Amino acid sequence: MLFLQQLRGELRKLFARPRTWMGYGAFFIMEALILFVYKLEGSQRHMRDLMARNGLEFGTYYSSLTITFTIMLVSMFLLGSIYFALVAGDIVAKENEDGNLRMVFARPVSRLRLLLVKYAAVSLYTFSFVFFVGVSGYLMAVVAVGREGGLFVMEPRMKVFAAYPEWREGAWRLILSAAGIGVSMITLSSLAFMFSCCKIKPAAASIITLTILFVDMILQSFPFFKPYESFFVTWRMSSWVFFMEPNLSWPKLVESYAFLIGLDVSLFTLGWAAFQTRDFKT
Amino acid sequence: MLEASGLCKSFGGKPALDHFSFSVRRGEIYGLLGHNGAGKSTTLGIILGMVMPDGGDVTIGGVSVRAERSKALRKVGAIFETPAFYEYLSGWENLRILMSYSGGFDPAAARAAVERVGLANRIHSKVRTFSHGMRQRLALAQALLPEPEVMLLDEPTDGLDPEGIKWFREFILALRDERGTTVLFNSHLLAEVELMCDRVAILRDGRRVYEGAVGGLHDDAPLFDVDLEPWDAALGPLHAGGGEVVVPGRIRLPHGADPAELVAALVRAGIRVRAFAPVRRSLEDLYMEIHNGASPAAKALG
Repeated sequence: MLFLQQLRGELRKLFARPRTWMGYGAFFIMEALILFVYKLEGSQRHMRDLMARNGLEFGTYYSSLTITFTIMLVSMFLLGSIYFALVAGDIVAKENEDGNLRMVFARPVSRLRLLLVKYAAVSLYTFSFVFFVGVSGYLMAVVAVGREGGLFVMEPRMKVFAAYPEWREGAWRLILSAAGIGVSMITLSSLAFMFSCCKIKPAAASIITLTILFVDMILQSFPFFKPYESFFVTWRMSSWVFFMEPNLSWPKLVESYAFLIGLDVSLFTLGWAAFQTRDFKT
Repeated sequence: MLEASGLCKSFGGKPALDHFSFSVRRGEIYGLLGHNGAGKSTTLGIILGMVMPDGGDVTIGGVSVRAERSKALRKVGAIFETPAFYEYLSGWENLRILMSYSGGFDPAAARAAVERVGLANRIHSKVRTFSHGMRQRLALAQALLPEPEVMLLDEPTDGLDPEGIKWFREFILALRDERGTTVLFNSHLLAEVELMCDRVAILRDGRRVYEGAVGGLHDDAPLFDVDLEPWDAALGPLHAGGGEVVVPGRIRLPHGADPAELVAALVRAGIRVRAFAPVRRSLEDLYMEIHNGASPAAKALG
């Protein structure tokens, strides 16, 4: 009960800051831009050709579900990661920089408890943000192209191709995928959170996190690293696409998410170890 | 009520505290004095568990801060360094968040604390709109909210105007008188410490160089400012009466010596006694003497 009260306070702080809302605004604009591009004749022609080559009917798959999938595929890693790194990188380091932590530590709360509350807040923010992007993207797509239609999925990098002509099945896969993205992105937040627990400027925590993420992405894209792709964090984070496969491979999904959750726990523990031994004094 | 024993702490190899021990009795107001970097805030930081000591421990009500920090701080209210609130939230929301870390938010208790510090009409405004004095009042309100038996106040009157300082002092004294709250107070304002504290410790470079009751400041041999004519002729009767010349025009008498008898002896010797007035030794005098290494107490403590 007390934990929930503390979590409520953390979320209140998080959502009272303009920086937290910047991400929502940025995604709104980006979703509008994607929809605008989707409506252009050239992109519709390109999609029509692509679907025809795969024996699919354009009218069925040019839909709000397909657009939502595309929005999530292209935006979460590139744009979402920036905001997750910003928010998670701030959550401890900024409060330390501003002196707020000194006020909190004048209370009988353990450092571990405080970190658990903050980590829970960051994880909730990350997870809910992904759903916000999915829901807002879908609603905007419904306004643009209507509710009807199936889901067309094409992710060559992860070798996932699927088509769900029924709206119900497509929507269900999209919801599963959003949950997968949410869990994947918590790993990114965990990385920023860990750095935030160290004696470091908030901006440095965010920048280091993004650097690691992008280096991992670049290395993973090297053709001769292909045999080792499953060792890259960003590859594991992309495992959410496997929720789109017609035959769900649970062992593959469990392996990836166990890897990510294990990494989250390790990152949290490292952050806690750094935080536990620090002095909080100007 | 609060006992610190053998506190040691270095920052980057530079000692900040060197085997500092002290104890504060229940209902006592204890002052920590010292120059910048003497170790006052480090001491408070260690008591609150924010600074990890290299050695030593603090117990509050018999509970070790190192072993059971949460339990030890359960009845402690503190203002540590400059209070930093969440500027983008109201004072009330700040209290709600801070209270959630010490047993949960109790609106009635929060309202009572806010009224007590005189912030009721502005508590729902954003903290960024608060003046320095209002922030200090809010800091005091949050410190009052665990119903503290011990209050740790780190430079709480810094930057306040004279009215604010007086209000703060009276508030703390009333708190001690009404609830028997134990207060550890650390400040640069020597006059404030003298007016508020029962006992003081003076730190220099992390070491305690003085500890004593504020009421006992005059326990050292009493000083007198004198105007005697002729001065040279007065030296004989002065020495005969046990007087010691500190500087021309100021003498020190041994404990128990009767100044009236000395004055009578001077008059009998034909000395014109134009002035013979006791010097009230302030905490500032003591502090400066200690820092100049002139205090017998400081010499005794090393």
